[in-house]
Amino acid sequence: MDPASVLQFLQLGVSGIVVAVGLLLIAGGSLGLLRFPDLYTRLHAANVADVVGSVIVVLGLAIAAPDWGIAVRLLLLAALLMALGPTLTHLVAQAAHAAGLAPIAGRYAAPRPGATSTSTPP
Amino acid sequence: MTALAAAIGVGIALLLCGARLFAGPTLYDRTLAANGVVIKIAIIVAAGGVISGRSVLIDAALAFVLASMVANVAVLKFFRLRSFQAPLARAEDL
Repeated sequence: MDPASVLQFLQLGVSGIVVAVGLLLIAGGSLGLLRFPDLYTRLHAANVADVVGSVIVVLGLAIAAPDWGIAVRLLLLAALLMALGPTLTHLVAQAAHAAGLAPIAGRYAAPRPGATSTSTPP
Repeated sequence: MTALAAAIGVGIALLLCGARLFAGPTLYDRTLAANGVVIKIAIIVAAGGVISGRSVLIDAALAFVLASMVANVAVLKFFRLRSFQAPLARAEDL
């Protein structure tokens, strides 16, 4: 076997493994987004699993890319997803909490927006 | 080969996100699901760029992600303030 074909086989194997891990994470995140009972738990699924899975899938695509220009652009896309996903999750959670959407919390009550200034002792 | 598998798997996840987009009880669920759908479409477009070897499609995916972020921030800001022309100072400070 010449080195070029070994390198090609290695590229296919490594990118396949990385993409499979990312697809597993994306499947978990999307199932959580569909099945969880509450906006905040859905946010947790969408943030943690989905963003990390998207970044890992894009990194696997960058390994499988045919030339360097595509690989560099895919790394840029991964950096963008990694930066913007948690930012948007924070924005959605803060907007929902400020709008008065209460989380389902069992026995425990989450603090309401604006309730801390009246309930805390001076 | 890997890019095709990635596109198919992300497409299945896109269907799940689309179900939440149409079934979401609150506005914030729909915002979150819409962002997920656009990001998954961007990944599918990027996989198409890897399959066909054209880097223009990866640039299109970058534009998708940026436009989705800007649109979601605009939607959240509008539904918090109910206006696109928010006052710069609060009313009690004037």
